[in-house]
Formats: sequence, structure tokens, C-alpha cells
Amino acid sequence: MNPLSAAKPFAGKSVAYPRRAPLAAFALIYTIVSGGPFLWVAMMSLRTTPEIFASPYALPSSIHWEKFVDAWTKSNYGTYFWNSTIVVVTAVALLTIIGAMVAHCLARYRFRGNRVVRFIVLSGLILPPQLMILSLFQILLEYRLYNTLTGLIIVYVAGHLAITVYILEGFFAQIPQDLFDAARLDGYSDLEIFWRITLPIGVPALFTTVTLNFIILWNEFLYAVVLLTEDDKRTLPLGIMHFMGNHQLDVGMVATGLMIAIGPVILLYAFFSETMIKGMTAGAVR
Amino acid sequence: MTERAPCGRAAKRFPPGGLDARRASRATLIILLAPALLLYAAFMLYPVLRTFWNSVHTIKPNNVPAFVGLDNFRELLGHDWVFWKAVGNTAIFAIVATIADVLGGLLLALALFSGAPFVRFLRVVWFTPVLMSYVVVGIIWVWIYDYDWGLANVILRAIGLGSLEQSWLGDPHTALWSVMATHIWKWLGFNMIIFLAALYALPADVLGAAELDNCGWFAKLIHIIIPMLRPTILNLTVLSFVGKMMIFDLVWIMTGGGPLWSTETVSTYVYKRAFDWNTFDLGYPSAIAVLWFLIILAFIFGLTQIMRQRDRLEF
Amino acid sequence: MITRKLAAALLVATGLGWAAVPKAQAEDVTINVWTHEADEDAKVAFRELAAKNLEAAHPDVHVKITWYEKNPLLAALKTALPAGQGPDVLYVEPDWTEYVEAGYLAPLDDLIDWNNIEPWARAVWVVNGKTYGVPQEAYTNEIYYNKDLLKKLGVELPANAQFTQSQFLDLVKKAKAAGITPIAQGVGDRPFPGAYILGEALLRKLGKDDYRKLWTGSLSFEDPRVVDVFKWTKELVDAGAYPKNFMTLKLGESHYYFYTKPGALMLPMGSWYTGRAFVPEDKGGQPKDFPLGVMQYPAMDGGACNQCKTSAVGASFAINSASKHKDIAAEFINAMSTPEMGKRWIETVYLQTGIKADVKSFSGPYAAYFTELMERQKGADYFIGGPRDLTRGECKDSFAQVMNSAFPGGLLSVDQAIKMMNTACFKG
Repeated sequence: MNPLSAAKPFAGKSVAYPRRAPLAAFALIYTIVSGGPFLWVAMMSLRTTPEIFASPYALPSSIHWEKFVDAWTKSNYGTYFWNSTIVVVTAVALLTIIGAMVAHCLARYRFRGNRVVRFIVLSGLILPPQLMILSLFQILLEYRLYNTLTGLIIVYVAGHLAITVYILEGFFAQIPQDLFDAARLDGYSDLEIFWRITLPIGVPALFTTVTLNFIILWNEFLYAVVLLTEDDKRTLPLGIMHFMGNHQLDVGMVATGLMIAIGPVILLYAFFSETMIKGMTAGAVR
Repeated sequence: MTERAPCGRAAKRFPPGGLDARRASRATLIILLAPALLLYAAFMLYPVLRTFWNSVHTIKPNNVPAFVGLDNFRELLGHDWVFWKAVGNTAIFAIVATIADVLGGLLLALALFSGAPFVRFLRVVWFTPVLMSYVVVGIIWVWIYDYDWGLANVILRAIGLGSLEQSWLGDPHTALWSVMATHIWKWLGFNMIIFLAALYALPADVLGAAELDNCGWFAKLIHIIIPMLRPTILNLTVLSFVGKMMIFDLVWIMTGGGPLWSTETVSTYVYKRAFDWNTFDLGYPSAIAVLWFLIILAFIFGLTQIMRQRDRLEF
Repeated sequence: MITRKLAAALLVATGLGWAAVPKAQAEDVTINVWTHEADEDAKVAFRELAAKNLEAAHPDVHVKITWYEKNPLLAALKTALPAGQGPDVLYVEPDWTEYVEAGYLAPLDDLIDWNNIEPWARAVWVVNGKTYGVPQEAYTNEIYYNKDLLKKLGVELPANAQFTQSQFLDLVKKAKAAGITPIAQGVGDRPFPGAYILGEALLRKLGKDDYRKLWTGSLSFEDPRVVDVFKWTKELVDAGAYPKNFMTLKLGESHYYFYTKPGALMLPMGSWYTGRAFVPEDKGGQPKDFPLGVMQYPAMDGGACNQCKTSAVGASFAINSASKHKDIAAEFINAMSTPEMGKRWIETVYLQTGIKADVKSFSGPYAAYFTELMERQKGADYFIGGPRDLTRGECKDSFAQVMNSAFPGGLLSVDQAIKMMNTACFKG
């Protein structure tokens, strides 16, 4: 028997405590590791570059809020934010609707071609982006969608449909069939069943996909860097890169730029983290 | 399978499917599936086929694509040592980081599950890196690895291990591992959440029974929890592995594949050959992408086979 | 009913995407310019002024300049140009030959007022009888050094500002022994700075003709003179000439490393050093009272041409062959290239130029520096163009990886480096 179980005869809290000390220590260390870098950047964002180089890890001695004004006015962050918002909100909305429609079909109906459709859609899970990025570059040019937000939105929707359907189908399939039979008896049409039963019941799963897609797309870099060229079209990740390139030596300013970029995410997260993580733990992603 | 109460009204409204809720009219199916399938056809399947077509051509700007047969693949397999270097790096990355991600995520989840204090708070903080874009994470970690004032070396000097200080991203021996550490740092929280979900979903009576059996925590973990988490572990391993076989963003931002190709991955190489080299040829990088896709496919197939076999052996 | 709702939702959603695409202005012409050097204030001001001048002269013309750092600019150009898109006017450097070869740049012979451009600088951009770029910046390769540190080491610069190769090696060793980084150089984001010392040494040892032959593939790297220079460079490397973070140190950071923290004895650089150094200190510029000196690259033992030095064209501007407003784009380039602007360039950027400019007296806070720089040009025998201008394909790539990075980074032996360069460059 291992030593841990040998200690068990005492049972109860008296045994639990000695084990909690290392656990708490581990938790503390990992909390510093995972959260520390952000605190550090937050600190630097309020300090000037000479201050930072003099002592990179000191607390801000005098707080330079004006750096945020500076970074905002000297950059195109407003445009980047707006672009990212349009692209991501539209793409996530489309993904959720289209994905739910497919997932509902696959989970609910027996029809010829079911397996083919499932295979085609889920094949997207293993298609590497670089397999498509080069030809998408050519194709969007031919469709005249290159360097447009519309083009990027469509590419995002196509690219993330697989994971969306995968998650939703798993959840939708668990909804008891009785509900649907009863609805059918009550005279609901197919589409009403989708609208009034699958979607409302599937909210936790929908929430998961929305969150997940939002995080991934908000941060997406590869497609954006290849498919957008103009400064006015840039999404936030490209914008940060650009800002960073233009202030190479100005570490303090880059830190401010980073904070502007991640601030809204952190803020949203502070409000919704519980719901979000609950949504993810609610079982949709397992 | 279900009750069929006579209900004329509904039956008349839905002749093809009748009352069987497992059937839908063709119109319904078309409405529900058409948008997705059209999108797929135009923006997934066509691009994939186009890439395959590209891979046997040389495609230069302002030129008609020239058919070159398997020349691109021959060059790739026979002469392109950078490609093989990239394959090696990607393989190391995918294998090591996947193992670390899955084990680390499990460890974190267990820490929370077995009652670390402030669980709700920790769950939120530990998940934060997942939210950040690679660009943000990359920039921050390039600073952390900075030779002069980066945190990594500052800590080493502070605890008297100054002799271990490194130019972390500048030394071909440490660069890949450094990028990998950052990648793991970013994704551990995600795996943690998934595992946590799976842990909370474990049937309480099984865990309770183990408790009654006077089963130690560690034994419980090995004999009960991990076997029950096997589907989650399998899924996460495959997903995580496939994701890392395609790694691009973080490497591109932190090292661009250098120094001396020591962090070159297949994806960065594809990108470089397409958009960074002087050739402007899209054919050759397409060939890399195609070959790499086939390798990934083989890997996924093999991985799932192995996992399944072990399942069969032990149960 | 529900179907209609869904369709409406889809429409709204996609409509949002369409609405996001801004519509082009109808009558006025906007010239898009993409240029590097976002972090060099003097150059930003210079080009913005030219834009303003053009807009004042032509009220219906707008100039929109997007500023980049070099690598993001390259990344953007290399996707936009193959797509037949991108700016009307773009920043280019003479070694970006691939753009000319791919047909992305419009021939400028009939578009530009060439009377304002130095003929030798224009010649750099002539390919098969056509000119593809308008030179703006010209530079020479120099070694910048900290006068105080040199004094502190008890070393005196010879009257001709040029050490011999053994004196230089001693200097490096002395600095290292005193705990000073001898040469603040890094190759974190550029394919050339690590090869400054090695390249200039090769030029002096071989002389202009053989040096050209070396890069164009008709002189072997196994030539004993070449091997000697590699060996000498290896001694420098082994003596600890370069900083430990050589591989990741970025160009801008190497400036800061040199003049502020932690400080170094020397920084070999093109004379465009000023663009990053002569900005306010809190933006990464050099301290006000920094004792900046300029010295020649060391003389080689038995060197064929120790008075030789590299002079080259840097920042230039070209017109996208896909541009719909080539004539107006040319107007913008002309507006940057007038003699008045040339004068302004020298007076504000403290740097040579390919624009014909008549500057007899210097004033301003860095006049002393410019005088010293001109002093270093006396009696110089120029070789026009650097290795990256002369090499192509695999040889160019190997130059970046081997001579710029791995060899000075201490990762390769002399034999390995010679062999790799020879395989890539020597055509027999």
C-alpha cells in the first residue's frame, strides 16, 4: 500500500490538512505563474520606458495614465477594435445558427446521406489551416473577397463549423427523444421543433460554442495576416503586431498597447468568467 | 420506438415524415443543411482540392501555372533539408507539448477537484492565459526570455543560479523548448477546464464507494478516476496533438523559426515558402501542406488505433 | 415564418459584414504609401512633409502614408503584391530584387524627374536598362564607438581612424577583460548586421574586383585570403566580441545596448545609425551628451584596398505596377526628391542621400557628428552595394544564416562556414 492510504485510518479532517498544505502551495505557485505575467505587463503599462529599463520589476512610482491616451491617439486601435468586433460577432452569430442547424439534423433525423454529411462536416476538424490558406488566398482573390472583412468572416465560419457542430451534436443527441415526439404530436413543424425545443434546451452547449469560437476568433492570426493587407481592415491581433513593430524600443508603450488590447477581454472575463467556465464545465466539451 | 397516437391534423401537415420525429421532410433537411454544405463546398473542399492541384504545379505571379508533376514532392522528400528539420521540430513539439498539456491539465484539474482553497478564484485565474491571443502571449514571453532584463534570467540570478542564464530564444539548443513552455503555459488552463468538467461528471457513488473501501487518494486516482476519464484523455490527446502539428502563430511571433531553423515548424515553413521567400511560388508550399496533411492523417489514425487497442486490452 | 426569421437573421448578419467594407472616395485621388522606418522620427517628418507639400499643390490629391517596421512591411507586401493589390508607392531597398524580377514594380524612367537624383545612386536601381526605384537614402558602413570607453581602455585611435587587424583584436580583448561588451550587435530581426565586420574585412582584403567576384560566384570562399579573414573574425568571436544575446538582439535594441544599457564599446552600422539614435532619449535615442565617435573598419594585413569602404543606397521608393495612379504616385516621389528636400534630409536626418543636394554648411545639434562622418569619407574608395545587393537565392539565404548569424554567433567553425558559403555561392 502506498503511504497516502496508510495514513487513512485516522480519516477525517485531521488527515486532510497535512495534505492541503502542499496543495495550497502548488495552487499559489501556479496562480503566480499563470497570472503574474499579466500583472507585470499591467504594471509596465503605467510606467515609462526609461523607468522600466532602470528597474523592470518595480511597482509604478508615479502612475502615467496619459500613456493610454497617447497609445490610443497615436494608433489605429479604434479601427482595429471595430474590425475585430464586426468580424467576430458576425462570424460567431453565423457559426452558431448554421452549426446548430446542422447539429440538429445530424443528432435528430435519420436520413439518407446522414453519414456522408457528418463525415464531410467533421472532416473540418482535422484539415490543417495551412492546407487551405494558400488556395484560399487565390480563391478569395478570384471571388473578389480578398482584403475584405466579409471574406475573412466567411473563411472563419467555414473553418470553425466543424468544431461547432461537433460540440453541439454531442449535446443535442442527449436531449430526450420524448420531447421531440411530444412536440410532433402537438403539431410542431420541423423548423419549429428546432427553434422552440432544440435551441432553448441546447443553450448551455450554444453558450460553450459561442464562448469558444469567440475566444479563438478574437485571437486568430494566421488567416487574418494572409487575407487582409490594409491597415484600415486589420483586426486586433494584427493591430497589436503593427503597434509593437512601430514602437520596438518603447517597451513601456508596447505594454500600454497590450493592455489596451487585452483590457476589454479581461473586463468581460471578470464579469462572465463564472458563467463561462460553468458553461464549459456544464458538459458540452467533454 | 415511440407511441403513435392517431392525430390527423399533424399527419396531414407532415406527409413524408408522418409522426415519426426521427424523420424530416426533404425541404427541412435542405433548409437546415444547405448553408453549411454550400459554405463547405466553396470554402473548405474547393480550397483543399485546389491545394492538391497546386501541389503539382509551379504557380508564379503573372504566369500561367505550369504543370510539374511530382517534382515538388521529389524536391521536398529528397533535397529539402529545411523541411525535414521542420518536421523533426514539429514532431518534438507535438509529442512533448501534448503530453505536458494533458498531464498538466489533469494535474491542475485534480488540484481543484481535491479541494484546493479558493477553487472558484483559481479556476478563473488559471484559465486566463487561454483568453489571450498568441500575439499578446508571444510579445510578453519574448520579454520574459530577454537575456538582460527578462524574468527568466532575473530569477535565475536572484536565486544564485546565474550560471544557468541563457539567451533562451537565441540559442538553438533552448529556443524550441522555450517556445514550447510558453505554448504549454497558454493552454494548460483549457485542458484543466475540460478535465474538471469530466471530473464533476463522474458518478458520485463510484467515488463514494472507493472512499468506503478505504482506498487512498492516489490509488483512487490510478484505479478509478483515470480509467473513467479515458475518453476525455483520448479526445484531448488527439485534439491537442493535431493542433500542435499545425502550430504557427506563437512560433512566428516569438522566433520566426530561428535561430538557425531550430524552431522552424512545418507551418512556418509553408508560410515562409509562400509569402516570405523570393520565389513567390505557391506550388511548392502547397506540396508541403499536402504531404504534411497526409502525415497528420496517418498519425491520427494510428493514435486512435493505439488508444482503442489499449482499451480493449485492459477491459 | 420561422424560416423567414432565420433568413432575415442571416441577411442581417452578412449585411453587417458588407457594411463594414468602406466605399472608396469618388472624385479625389488618394495615393497609398507604405513605408518602413515608423520608429525614425526624422524620416517620418520628412516624408509627411513631402505629402503635405503635394497635397497643398494639388488639392484633389490625398496622400495616405501607412508606417511600418521593416519585417511587418515585408510580410504585408509579400501577400498584397502577388494579389495585385497593395499601395501605389512603396518603400524598397536595392537588395529586394525579387520584386523587380516578379514584375511588381513599374519602370520609372519616364515617370520621375531624374535630374534631381545622383546618377550613381540611380544606377543601383537599373535592371536590364530600366530603372525601378528612386533612391532617397545613401549610406556608408562605419563603426560607431564610445569615445569615453575607448579612452578608459587606454587606447588611442590612429590619425587615419583605422586600426590594424591585430590592434582591433587586441582592443576587443581589452574591452572584454574590462567587462565591457566590445561590439553591440544583434541579428534578431535583420539578415545583415552580424556580417558587417566580416564583410568589410573581406572588401579590404580582396579589393573591389575580387570582392565582387566573391559575391557573384566566380571567386571561391576557399581562397586563402578569404579563409584568413574568416579566421581573424573567428578570433574576434572567440574573444567574446559579440554580446551573449547576439542571436535575438534586434536592430533597434542593439542601438540602445550600445549607447545606454548596458553600453558597449562599438556598434558597426550603416550611417543610417542616426535615424534611431538621434531621437529623444525616452524614445530610445542616445543620451544628449553621448561621446559618439566614428572609426573606419580595421585594415587587413596585406589588404588589397584598405582605403576601400562600402557605400550603398538604402531607403528608396518604387511604384506598384498594379497602381491605377502611377503618374500621381510619381508626383509624390518627385515631391520627396527636390533639391530643397535633399538639403532638408541631410540637415534633419544627418545622413547621406541619393537626392542631389547642395549642403555647404551644417548647423543643428548634431553638426559635429556630421562633420566627423564626412571626415571619414576623405580618401575613401567606394564599393557601391553590399553583399545582399549582389547575391541571389541560396547564396543570399546562406549569407543571412551563416555569415550574418551562425558564424559570428559562434555556432560554426571556420571550415564549416567556408564550406557552407562555398556550396551556396561558388559557381566554379
